[in-house]
Amino acid sequence: MITVEHLTKRYGAFTALDDVSFESRPGRVTGFLGPNGAGKTTAMRVVTGLTPASAGTATVLGRPYATLPNPGRHVGVLLDASAQHAGRTGREVLTLAAILTGVDRRRVDAMLELVGLTEKEAARRVRNYSLGMRQRLGIAQALLPDPEVLVLDEPANGLDPAGIRWMRDLLAGFAARGGTVLLSSHLLNEIERVADDIIVIGNGRVVAQGTTTELLAGAGTRVASVDDSALAAALEADGVTVAPLATGGLRADTDPDTVGRLALRAGVALRELRGGDERGLEEMFLELTASSAREGVAA
Amino acid sequence: MSAATGSAPVTAPAPPAPATAGDRERPVRTIPMPRLVHVELRKMLDTRAGRWLLVAIGVLVVGALAILLVQDGGEHPLGDYLQATTLPTALLLPVVGILAVTSEWSQRTALVTFTLEPRRARVAWAKVAASLLVGVGAVAVSFALAVAAHGSAIALRGATGDWNLAGTVWLGAAGYVLLGLLQGLGFGMLLRNTPAAVVLYYALPTGWSILGSLWARAASVGEWLDLNRTMEPLFSGSLSAEQWARLGTSVGLWVVLPLAVGMWWITRAEVK
Repeated sequence: MITVEHLTKRYGAFTALDDVSFESRPGRVTGFLGPNGAGKTTAMRVVTGLTPASAGTATVLGRPYATLPNPGRHVGVLLDASAQHAGRTGREVLTLAAILTGVDRRRVDAMLELVGLTEKEAARRVRNYSLGMRQRLGIAQALLPDPEVLVLDEPANGLDPAGIRWMRDLLAGFAARGGTVLLSSHLLNEIERVADDIIVIGNGRVVAQGTTTELLAGAGTRVASVDDSALAAALEADGVTVAPLATGGLRADTDPDTVGRLALRAGVALRELRGGDERGLEEMFLELTASSAREGVAA
Repeated sequence: MSAATGSAPVTAPAPPAPATAGDRERPVRTIPMPRLVHVELRKMLDTRAGRWLLVAIGVLVVGALAILLVQDGGEHPLGDYLQATTLPTALLLPVVGILAVTSEWSQRTALVTFTLEPRRARVAWAKVAASLLVGVGAVAVSFALAVAAHGSAIALRGATGDWNLAGTVWLGAAGYVLLGLLQGLGFGMLLRNTPAAVVLYYALPTGWSILGSLWARAASVGEWLDLNRTMEPLFSGSLSAEQWARLGTSVGLWVVLPLAVGMWWITRAEVK
């Protein structure tokens, strides 16, 4: 359980976080979504006590992170996979964490196996690791003391498609066992696939939050038919806003059921009908964060 | 219990606690200080940089002893052998102290260190304790090597030898090594940048002598603030009240102050 209330972080005149409130609940994966520089990392750093807040509070398991007696045992944190001593071996990194948090050193082998680092790779120094291997090592370090909360900043970075799939299953499994997961990403489809709840952040503000299903429902319906113009006319006649998609087909601002019913009434055969998909979420995401994005969004 | 475990404590292992609904509410205690020190000690030695530094000290010490043993048939007083082992140690050991702190920033491991123990002052104190343990170990080895080398000069090279050495000289040599180490640690905490801390540490004595030769005032101020000069009497064995005062002043400026300011900064700063 992570609770953030009215969190504000200022750096001089720059406001990195502006009155941010959200909750990450047990048994669920909460996705923190936003463009670069939106404040995702800053928020996670405040949650884990690395950055002091200017105003507001952040608690993990009901108390400020810095007051947890042995935080590694409760919260697995991976904020930057590159932040490891280049001259240490992967196994040594995990051994240090095991000693410090006071867990059985045999868990080091279990964790190496869990994240798919071989005996040989674990004996190599971190400087020779690819980013993907560093992410795996970081995940192993976070999971080593068997925490009940995970805080991960861009954990999919540098992972190959198989690695991303593995990460997704791992996080879903962790949440299914009652764990709390807060992860950030700018990879929209990644968040959409793994997160039960989504917090969209832009310019230091929460611009949308809710369950993934709710947010996707708001993203409209994607539809393609044998006669898109006839379908568009039928939808508009019923008061549904329609926009043509560059890739062909239409986006309708309503749920798929309504679109299907109207298409049937108009006698237009459908080729494709989907509720808010990754494209829908992407559009919503770009729209919501348009004011903070570095590139303007083409209308 | 079998005979093989005879050395194990007599008490039987406690049965595992029954799993309850509140199983996840594990009674977790604050990380004990000895464990923090253990980890910091291990971090000093588990990288190539740390190990090579100690190897370099060892090579220098062995080299200095070899020269003494060869020169003049090994005919030197114990004090010379002690210098041969403690001076190289005092020269390089401060870098161990510097790296113990600066590597957390240059390698960015502070991020992990301070999420696993957010009470940052405890981590900083653990670094001080671990450095002192390394320092005391190094001093003990230096003393032992000096005695062994002097002994073998007498036994193997036929030197007459001179075992006379005031107890205060031993203390002074130990103080010299440990104060340098703490100074390195303090510079590391203050600057958190390896090259800057190393350069400042080594440039400081030279800076004093250049300044002193250019400007007479600086030379007299240096008598109070130049750690190299205020520590010199430590080797002679006895310090006058004024020499103590000078040593105290310079240690306050170059050891205590950087440590205090660095510690203050570490507990407050944002860890990047």
